[in-house]
Amino acid sequence: MHVIVATDGSKQSLAAARHLKSFADPLKITTVSVVAVIRPYAAVAFADDLTPRKAPKADLESLSFRDAADSATKVVAGVFEGWGPKVQIRIRSGSPATEIIKAAKQADAGLVVVAAGSRGLSDTVLLGSTAQRVQHSAPCPVLVVRPAPRKPKRK
Amino acid sequence: MSTASPDTTAEPEGGEELKRTITGRLLFFYTLGDVLGSGIYVLVGLVAAAVGGAFWIAFALGVSVAAITGSAYAELVTKYPRAAGASLYVNKAFGSRPLTFLITVSFLAASMAASGSLAVGFASYFDTLWSGPPALLVSLVFVALLVIVNFIGITESVVMNMLMTFVEVGGLIIVLIIGIVVIFQGDADFGVLTHIDTSGEFSSPALAILAGISFSFFAMTGFENTANVAEETVDPYKAFPRSLVGGMIVAGLVYVLVSMAAALTVPTETLASSDAALLEVVKADVLPISVDFMTTLFSVIALIAITNTTLVTIVTQPRVLYGMAKEDVVPAVFAKVHPVRRSPWVGLIFSGAVVGALLVIGTLVTEAGGGIDLVGRLATVTVVLLLAIYALVIVACLKLRGQDEDGPFFRANTPLLFVGLVGNLAILYFTIYDDPHSLIWCAGLLGVGLVLFLAEYFFGSRDRSNAVEPGTAVADKEL
Repeated sequence: MHVIVATDGSKQSLAAARHLKSFADPLKITTVSVVAVIRPYAAVAFADDLTPRKAPKADLESLSFRDAADSATKVVAGVFEGWGPKVQIRIRSGSPATEIIKAAKQADAGLVVVAAGSRGLSDTVLLGSTAQRVQHSAPCPVLVVRPAPRKPKRK
Repeated sequence: MSTASPDTTAEPEGGEELKRTITGRLLFFYTLGDVLGSGIYVLVGLVAAAVGGAFWIAFALGVSVAAITGSAYAELVTKYPRAAGASLYVNKAFGSRPLTFLITVSFLAASMAASGSLAVGFASYFDTLWSGPPALLVSLVFVALLVIVNFIGITESVVMNMLMTFVEVGGLIIVLIIGIVVIFQGDADFGVLTHIDTSGEFSSPALAILAGISFSFFAMTGFENTANVAEETVDPYKAFPRSLVGGMIVAGLVYVLVSMAAALTVPTETLASSDAALLEVVKADVLPISVDFMTTLFSVIALIAITNTTLVTIVTQPRVLYGMAKEDVVPAVFAKVHPVRRSPWVGLIFSGAVVGALLVIGTLVTEAGGGIDLVGRLATVTVVLLLAIYALVIVACLKLRGQDEDGPFFRANTPLLFVGLVGNLAILYFTIYDDPHSLIWCAGLLGVGLVLFLAEYFFGSRDRSNAVEPGTAVADKEL
């Protein structure tokens, strides 16, 4: 089975990747594709929160959204290193949901893993998160990894 | 320096891993949409007032200077396909951090003034649909809505951008059709097209035309924002020269034809005294369709056109701040992105607030008898700042000749670049000479950049040492 793991450079997407690894059987997975989508028309086309800042100062040369996407996908791909399945990196550009779905179709994926949502108001008030759109139109099952509740006081 | 090559060699098996989505055609529409919305709907009146019936000449000359500048951008973008645009080119050419900072802040300030001018223009067209709310309120709500829309991320749709550009062109085609009908009805007085008004403020035809170019130049700006998508453009070496310069030429053609149509249809005095000048053309009741319907339709089209261009400016500002925060020249909060929406929300709110402040201060000055036209003043501020940047970009382009030329790149025509440089400086000189007060506004906006720099300079070490830790803190919370 080919699994697509999407990352938007957020910590939550790294958590989603780890979550997959925590329960899935590596023998049943042939390939893991880590997909990042750059949004060319957005104010920040790709923000990488995963790579720790090494250089004290970035210069104009290093301000590349493609490089940011590249290093973020490498961090997420690092989760699956030595796990068994082949690990690929895919960087696409466009609208995140559309591109993730396209990647899943092209790879004939058996599962798409996405991170989703905040816990706060913005999730309830604002429409159309990427995860919602992916699970609505993906060609395969979708694992949506949500953040853990802030305080586990259910009862 | 070729940025694409490291990725290409890393995984040679398929183009899929480096899938770029901005094709030459999309880039063309992006350029056209950026350029067309800014100005023609807002500024035709001002230009007509300065030149007289022959104001199309001002548009033709202005767009030529801009297209030449565009060719310098195309050369640099094919050599350095990065989003940082003018700041990067100036940094490459002169290697001076203060100069680079000044250019980046000027670009930011120009973009903010442009948003302000467009928001006021939006309010004047909105007034024709619903004249209830005061103009200031409409423009403030407009800016606030665009900030929210940007935060959510609806603006990123490539398809939407194209549709809005089609609508923009559609509005101008309506003006053209009206002009053609007037010609066929035999009502056109072609003498108007050569009439240069020297009875007013400007005594010589050359001066009147220079004034017209200066006032119309705001309509030529916007193409510099195409550097935003440089990294994501398929085959930038081919796409940029064609789409950027091609887009400018098409925009120029549309401007000239629209100016002629407007001049033939409506007396120049009517255009000159109108806040929403192109609307006067539609109101001339030439087409066999109800004027009310056409007026409403045209206003909606103009609102969409202005929105499209303003969206791009409001995307650009937080992006510039983001880049500067990454370089540690402004406080690091501007590099923060929302964990879910992935938008630089601090930068967005800040940009919106500065534009809002511009609108409020501008309105107060106007009401206090400052005797300024806010659309014109903010457009002038944009033009002054951008002309200085354009001139410097052309110099940078010439200075960087012979460097970083190992990859394929586009070479702009050198004699034309010199013409463009002189053109930019002449328009800059005239604009400042005609409206020296605009410099105060420029200084005020540049001051915002200075304040941010000082904030980072004095308190920066604190957030720099925190720069890694907050990330981990967030991670603990999130996981």
